[in-house]
Amino acid sequence: MRTFRAFLLLALVGGGTTLRAQDISTRLAGRVSPEVAALVQRLATSAAARGLPVDPLIQKAIEGGAKGVPADRIAAAVRALAGQLDVAAAALTRAGPTHPDTDAIAAGAFALNAGLNDTNVTTLARVSGPRHTEAATLRVAGTLAAMGVPAAQTVELVTQVIEAGGESADVLALPGQVSEGVSHGRGVTPAQAAAGLARAAAARANAPGQQKPKPPHP
Amino acid sequence: MDRLGARAAAPDGDVVRAVLAGDAERYAELVQRYRDRYARYAARMLGSPDAAEDAVQDAFIRAYDQLAQCRDPDNFAGWFFLILRNRCFAERRRTKREAVADVSQDELPGPGRADRDAERSETQQLLARGVSELTAEQREVFVLKHVEGLSYGEIAERLGTSVPSLKMRMHRAYDRLREQLRDRA
Amino acid sequence: MTDFHPQVKQLLDGELTLADLPAALRPEGVEALRLLAAVDREPVALPSTLDARVLAAVRARAARPSLWRRFLAPREIRVRLRPWTLVPALAAAAALVLFLSSPARTPTASTVTVRFVLFAPDAQQVSLAGTFNQWDPAATPLVRTGSPGVWSATLILPAGQHQYAFVVDGARWVADPGAPAVDDGFGRRNSVLSL
Repeated sequence: MRTFRAFLLLALVGGGTTLRAQDISTRLAGRVSPEVAALVQRLATSAAARGLPVDPLIQKAIEGGAKGVPADRIAAAVRALAGQLDVAAAALTRAGPTHPDTDAIAAGAFALNAGLNDTNVTTLARVSGPRHTEAATLRVAGTLAAMGVPAAQTVELVTQVIEAGGESADVLALPGQVSEGVSHGRGVTPAQAAAGLARAAAARANAPGQQKPKPPHP
Repeated sequence: MDRLGARAAAPDGDVVRAVLAGDAERYAELVQRYRDRYARYAARMLGSPDAAEDAVQDAFIRAYDQLAQCRDPDNFAGWFFLILRNRCFAERRRTKREAVADVSQDELPGPGRADRDAERSETQQLLARGVSELTAEQREVFVLKHVEGLSYGEIAERLGTSVPSLKMRMHRAYDRLREQLRDRA
Repeated sequence: MTDFHPQVKQLLDGELTLADLPAALRPEGVEALRLLAAVDREPVALPSTLDARVLAAVRARAARPSLWRRFLAPREIRVRLRPWTLVPALAAAAALVLFLSSPARTPTASTVTVRFVLFAPDAQQVSLAGTFNQWDPAATPLVRTGSPGVWSATLILPAGQHQYAFVVDGARWVADPGAPAVDDGFGRRNSVLSL
């Protein structure tokens, strides 16, 4: 089945390859060296063939060019990002039967870059369920990790909130709440703030007669 | 990256500027340097080392929050002292019943304490209680001069006040202390 | 009469010695000196765990994103400028401020108005570069505001996740320490903005 899907993708991508190549070279023209542009094109083509999003790769190359980064460094960064996209895609595939969408893969790569590992990504994707998009869950988790919440606490917090019946707004509110906890507590670390929120979510989930929690007060 | 001079010998101003430029970790150097310098002052002002610990910790955090407002980074110590001082005064306003200095807790543990002259330690206790019952301003000038060993001129400079007004406060403190020691002796 | 004699007070102040006092005042002088001798001058050593607690708070503040509260809790806008000073002599990255204004949805439901603010009194030129403008440092200059040293720019950005950094004097790329930061893959950090 997977082979068939891959074949389908190849067929689809095959038809659009020419257009994509033009898109890429247009976007990169004048922003990166021809060598880097050629590399990105190669990486993007094969990435697309694997069902990975291409835009992050182009963005990263443009970013490197704008920052005046040497060509080999840009190349390394784009390759590394392609690797992260691969890992994210694999982690998402382990989470569920459907092929992961490119948004989710990009969000997964973001989460990996922020410090989560592929197991975390799989867990978060599984936990997302029908009410939350994997992409949104992973973006929030990546943001929490970027704020300094350790991976384990990040996963626990997001999981608790979702399993307690939280809405997507509740999940999106998490970084702000951790930030509040840090700024209002004396010497409270992001990890501690996150742990506190997770306990609160668990308590709400376990409270008798509790259906859905109210949106947390900011 | 060039650091100005060896880190161990870096003057306060350099450390402050480094922290302001983004190197938050270096704030630890200032904490190490001044953690104990004003601990005794805070303990005498607030009545216990525990209260002093809270006050000093809060003062360091507040100083970090306001570090950009430190007008003279080379005099971080003086600026920090004022932040700590404000914290001590605010603490005293907050507590309705002032904590009575318990000299036995303030003393560092060690052999020989039990051998101390009984009369002397009783006087110490009485005096400590007397000091704790002074007004905040009186207590402060007494502590700065007779515990910390500053001159009137140095105290005046630190607190931004005049020597005559300090002396007036102090002399009133002397009288109150005498009164308290006599009452309890 | 419980007040010390003025000369005894001078004794206490260290301006006179016992020998300077007239004989009649000496006993009072001795009493006064005994009082001073009873002052507890034992140094107080605070536990070194205090250092760790202060550093934890400092680190939390250094990592704290000041923009989140505003955009997720649209009740009040509090301007909190952290005036980090640029020190060109040091290679350390300057820390800057992102301030997010009213998160009320604009007429287009999927865009948000964002105001970026930077305090950089020594800068000649400041701009904003990110995923929303192809990282072009020339595309979004900040302008000086009424307050000295304060620069700002207001953008309407599509909902979603963006990465950005400030560019100072055309050359120095710095992230906002108040915002979540991620490795940019080039040895620096980018700030993350989720709308």
